[in-house]
Amino acid sequence: MRNKFEEQLERLHVELIQMGALCEDGISAAAEALLQNNPGLAQTAIDAEREIDQKEREVENLCIKLLLQQQPVAKDLREISAALKMISDLERIGDQASDIAELVPYVHLEEGTGLHIGDMARAVIRMVTDSVDSFVKRDLDLARAVYTADDKVDALFDQVKQELIGMIAKDASRGEQCMDLLMVAKYLERIGDHATNVAEWVEYSITNVHPDKN
Amino acid sequence: MTKRIFRSILAVSLAVLLASLLLIVGVLHGYFQDSVLADLTIRTAYIAHGIENEGIGYLEEDLPGGCRITLVDTDGTVLYDNREDPAQMENHADREEIHEAAMLGQGRAVRHSDTLSEKTIYYALRLSDGTILRVSDTEYSVWRLVIQAMQPMALVLVLAFVLALVLASRVSRQLLQPINALDLSQPGDQAPYEELAPLLGKIRSQNRQIQKQMLDLKQRQEEFTTITENMSEGFLVIDQETRVLSYNSAALRLLRGSVEGPAPDTAFALNREAGFRRCVEDALAGRRREELLEKDSSCRQVIASPVEQDGAIAGAVLVVLDVTEKEQRESLRREFTANVSHELKTPLTSILGTAEILQNGLVKPEDVSHFAGNIHREAGRLIGLVNNIIKLSRLDEGGPTTTWENVDLYQTAKSALDRLSAAAEQRQVTLELRGDPVQVHGVPQIVDEILYNLCDNAVVYNRPGGKVCVTVEDTGKSARVMVEDTGIGIPQEVQSRVFERFYRADKSHSAGGTGLGLSIVKHGAAYLGAKVTLESEEGKGSTFTLIFPKSSI
Repeated sequence: MRNKFEEQLERLHVELIQMGALCEDGISAAAEALLQNNPGLAQTAIDAEREIDQKEREVENLCIKLLLQQQPVAKDLREISAALKMISDLERIGDQASDIAELVPYVHLEEGTGLHIGDMARAVIRMVTDSVDSFVKRDLDLARAVYTADDKVDALFDQVKQELIGMIAKDASRGEQCMDLLMVAKYLERIGDHATNVAEWVEYSITNVHPDKN
Repeated sequence: MTKRIFRSILAVSLAVLLASLLLIVGVLHGYFQDSVLADLTIRTAYIAHGIENEGIGYLEEDLPGGCRITLVDTDGTVLYDNREDPAQMENHADREEIHEAAMLGQGRAVRHSDTLSEKTIYYALRLSDGTILRVSDTEYSVWRLVIQAMQPMALVLVLAFVLALVLASRVSRQLLQPINALDLSQPGDQAPYEELAPLLGKIRSQNRQIQKQMLDLKQRQEEFTTITENMSEGFLVIDQETRVLSYNSAALRLLRGSVEGPAPDTAFALNREAGFRRCVEDALAGRRREELLEKDSSCRQVIASPVEQDGAIAGAVLVVLDVTEKEQRESLRREFTANVSHELKTPLTSILGTAEILQNGLVKPEDVSHFAGNIHREAGRLIGLVNNIIKLSRLDEGGPTTTWENVDLYQTAKSALDRLSAAAEQRQVTLELRGDPVQVHGVPQIVDEILYNLCDNAVVYNRPGGKVCVTVEDTGKSARVMVEDTGIGIPQEVQSRVFERFYRADKSHSAGGTGLGLSIVKHGAAYLGAKVTLESEEGKGSTFTLIFPKSSI
């Protein structure tokens, strides 16, 4: 019986990694679609979102089954409850990546506008990758690195906001564009927050202490 | 062991107890009966004497008790009994002892009572008047004795039980102590008991066998590890649940990016790229799959094959190859082919156009020579290009089939500059040659080709009024040729690319040339074992330095 439990826990671990990887794919595809103005890649991100939703349901079922059938305690219980929390954050990351992808046809990022939205996207992708990595490697330092990266992303968001205000002031006809870009920046900032949440749940499952830094 | 010893001890003591009991009871029983009988005989004789002398009245006297006395007439009628009323008693003539006494003068009999716990011993004596006197005494039977002995027996039994318990544990402890003290991994020759010697011998030989097998296994494992660790290809075996069963460090390096870190439990902990996931999923579904993983600048190829066992898929074997260089070479080759076709097409288009104009007779007779000159120049360029390509491909294939000999760098440089003097004059570039003759071992054509190309570039990419200075030096260990110019220079960021085929720093192609010159220099120098370095500053000029090893002289 216990053996089966361990097997199921291992499967949970694998499924979570897969879900994390799907999120990475989704946000990378969305960011690339945005930066290279490639609607084909945008579709990849939207497809990834559907897969992520599917995965979320699978992992959720697995977690509930584990909780009901095995009645885990201590560390195992912590891991499963952290997994339950993590998947909702991962699912949100997937949603927001697909939201960004949906905006791609309406947004044309021209070179030389000096917008920091590309830096923001790269920083956020890095955060998502690091948060999933910290889970895979059970690496506390990496998880904590994600929190500090979030501060940078927040600062970048403010910067992008200022830049967009400047753009509107210069040329009011680009207002709609700028609003869409602001939405993209906001989505990216939210993805950063969710990545931070994932990292926090990783820390919780390792140390049993949830770092409430939000 | 304690239990068994205890049981044996208990069984033995029980058996001894029972046997001795039986023996004692048996012996004592006979002895008691005999003594009672003897006592009865004496007593009967005594009473008989009394009756003979005093008549039946003697019996009325108070006789020493314990016995039953009966007087029976010759016909069997009971005349007297000291326990019961004689009138009530039946005829005794057929009683065994009476009958015997009537016949023989005395008789005896032993009768067990109904309960078996008692027995009565009868002794009968015929008196002189024919009447028979019988005296009987009751004695406990053997069963009674046994039952009476039960209580002390039980006590003894309990004692035996306790003793057996204590003894058994002590004996077994004493027996086992030396056996427990034995070091089974290294049993010496000294067995604590002689009986254990064969067992120890067997253990010794088995130990040797196990050690040999362990050594074999270890060796095989080491061989396997050495092979896989020295493979530059990554190797990964996973089971149905993507658990990692076996891997080598190349797999960690290629998939995870670092060899350090914890051993991976699942394949996805190594890599989560979409291509890799597809490979794993397909292989576990029973399909072979190949994917290229591109991340940053590295490119890896993953080949995943399912492993079947008894008709079911038990896992997958993944091989990871580093194809970064291969991909780079591939892209270089594609670029080269594209460049060659482009470079060949440009002069041909020009020739074709000019020829077409000539053919249509649209050219005035005095301009024909100009157009023909055009064709001639373009054809010459084409031939030069093809020649350069041939030279390069020869160098690629291991060089021309010419022999190595001593070459004077100074003389070669001089002849190259001589051939370029006309072109230099045309561009108002002064040529200068410094240094002393230095001999190196090499292929004259290739050395000439290298120096000519370098000087040609120095002249062509120069500015009017510029200068080209060639210095040939002997630095002891090596020979050095420096070609300096005061030309347009090469921007820092493209300096690493100028040796590539068809690469031109000058995008407009205004200076002519094929784009293969420096490529020939690089390959020729590599063929001769020489080194080429480049120092350049944009707008000020470039210095190419060739260093020939002198050890090859």
